[in-house]
Amino acid sequence: MIWEVFRQEQAGDYHTHCGNVHAPDREMALLFAEIQHGRRKPTNSLWVAPQEEIGEVDTEDAEFGGTTDKSYRWAQTYSFEAAAEEVAESENEQVQAEAERQRGDD
Amino acid sequence: MDIEEVKQRAGPREFSPKDDLPEKYRKAATRMIQFHANSEIMGAYLERPFIREAPSLDRKLAFSAKVQDEIGHGQLLYRAAESLGIKDREQMLDELANGEGKFLNCFHYPMDSWVETPMIAFFVDGAAMRRQATLKQSSWEPYAHAMDKVCFEEGFHVKHGEAILYELMTGSKSEQERTQAAFEKWWPRIIQFFGPTDDKSTHHDFSADVGLKTMTNDELRNAFLNAYIPKAEKYGLEIPDTPRIRENDDGTYEVEEDDLDWDEFFTIAKNDAPGSHEQIGKRNRTQEAVEWVRNSMDGWESKSAGKTPQAAD
Amino acid sequence: MASAEQLAGPDELSEEEQEAVETLLFRLADDEFVVAERYTEWQVRAPTLESDLALANIAQDELGHARLWYDLLQDFGPDEPDLIWERPAGEWRHSTLTELPFDEGDWADPILRSYLYDVAEEIRLEALVDSSYARIRDRVGKIQGEEDYHREHAENWLERLTDDDEGTRRVQQALDKLLPYALTIFAPADEEIEARIDELGLRTMSLADMREEWLDTVVPYLEGLGLSVDEAELPEQYDTHHEGLELPDELGRDQSHTDDWDDLYDEFTNTYRDLDRSEATRIMKDPDEE
Repeated sequence: MIWEVFRQEQAGDYHTHCGNVHAPDREMALLFAEIQHGRRKPTNSLWVAPQEEIGEVDTEDAEFGGTTDKSYRWAQTYSFEAAAEEVAESENEQVQAEAERQRGDD
Repeated sequence: MDIEEVKQRAGPREFSPKDDLPEKYRKAATRMIQFHANSEIMGAYLERPFIREAPSLDRKLAFSAKVQDEIGHGQLLYRAAESLGIKDREQMLDELANGEGKFLNCFHYPMDSWVETPMIAFFVDGAAMRRQATLKQSSWEPYAHAMDKVCFEEGFHVKHGEAILYELMTGSKSEQERTQAAFEKWWPRIIQFFGPTDDKSTHHDFSADVGLKTMTNDELRNAFLNAYIPKAEKYGLEIPDTPRIRENDDGTYEVEEDDLDWDEFFTIAKNDAPGSHEQIGKRNRTQEAVEWVRNSMDGWESKSAGKTPQAAD
Repeated sequence: MASAEQLAGPDELSEEEQEAVETLLFRLADDEFVVAERYTEWQVRAPTLESDLALANIAQDELGHARLWYDLLQDFGPDEPDLIWERPAGEWRHSTLTELPFDEGDWADPILRSYLYDVAEEIRLEALVDSSYARIRDRVGKIQGEEDYHREHAENWLERLTDDDEGTRRVQQALDKLLPYALTIFAPADEEIEARIDELGLRTMSLADMREEWLDTVVPYLEGLGLSVDEAELPEQYDTHHEGLELPDELGRDQSHTDDWDDLYDEFTNTYRDLDRSEATRIMKDPDEE
């Protein structure tokens, strides 16, 4: 069976998908993943999960974030100078995320 | 791992569910994150009537989105708390409903009018965001990860609250006066948001030593006052005379603690204020009313578990 | 009807044409606004945190759709306060399905209500795709883009809720209550104006045809879930007034409403009146500038 592999580069990071391996069970999948996906790239931890257990919804099936105007959800819609550093930081992240989402739509 | 090793290693995002952590750490972290999660839910409870009350279509949308985000934050935080292995989400939600679960002081007070909404949506959320930004460095990795998403979303809340405050303070004379009155009512509670000064706080030392939190109550309160007093004044709000707040030469503030009602604060901390009973009672009732749905889904889950192909182990 | 001529823009319509467009838009806008207003009652009260987020999102979608339709009514002069905040309760045209209150904890109701509503919504949007009025036609696609999730959400819940006895009993109870009110979705605001809406090609399917399609979809689906639709009484050809399934006294479309609507209206206009407002704040851009 096929196992999807998720790699965490450093402690505290997120595990992100990096590939998969063929293996008969979880222990073997971990052994194979360790070499195939962990031997060169910086790795702190690996997760494996059976491919058939992973559900997916993608842009074929879904309109992520909707199709009508949802700008009320975004900090940048409210034109005030951020009250504090952490508010400004959040707003920057939102500007970036929304720009990426828009690009995805095109 | 023993406590000494935990203290030694403590740093941002240092510990994850695979670490063998002493019960003392896991219990302290559970208490802290459960409190945070409960507060998201109970804050949303306070704000939900204003989805209906919002005086424009766009404001209604924003309020609904904001309350939705808060419930989403509760979801993230209960997961982060669950991952400590002390309590599961159901238990924590039960504790919230039966009055054992604790939550932020500000959410124990009733909110009756639209003019009060920026007191939560701007000041309390601003204060919460100050604290949350520092918790991205928490030593419990799942908590820090939850904070990444919470902080990402929260900027909208604070600015949305600010927009409402601005609108009220540039509105009719009556709106301005009523907003000032609401501010005077809420200001001491907002100052108490950060709890008593550090020597009175009981759980501080341990959670700081093991890196669960990285800033003290005093530091957080200072940073908040630094950013939000000028904003309040900019919009024409007058800072109430009590509690007395002194600005030091180095830009820090000192709050005269004796001007604040700590009896009330500690009554609230025990879930024993009239507002606590009211809010918790509502939560309890509405959660019990949908228990049949959760039971029905549990039944479905145990039936369908057999149908899903299980991976060889 | 597909061959109907294109209508002019909002400024060049005859009085009769404008009345037809406005009536159609009020049907759409008021439905979306009021159904969403009710859905938001479940925020912070849904059975689980995840289900809370999902229904809140649907409410926001529907409110966003209401916003698009009210915006087209603004073409004719009225502003948001005229259309929502200061319009008397007795002038609203939403179907009474949307205004009914929920019993506490009765999760079967919003789920079934959204199913009944969203199937109807799909049918009526489809009938607007080729509307002779470009301003309506141009906005349909955006709205349709959000409807698939609504229907899928409702159906998934229904299939699971009707898997056990308690859930089936609850959904059946909701069905008995809601079905007559759901039929008011297809009730005429005014026979003559509705006929004009069809003649002008504003929509490409009559109310009677839409209702038939709706019944053909909803009835077999619900029966397939083991629910009983009091359908035996239905005539072979469903006529406009539906003799088999009795309509409630309050149709909504003709501006007759339940007492619960008055309460709801008082609540959502409370702040606006309390603050003595005369304007409604816009946060987002005009839909034409998006």
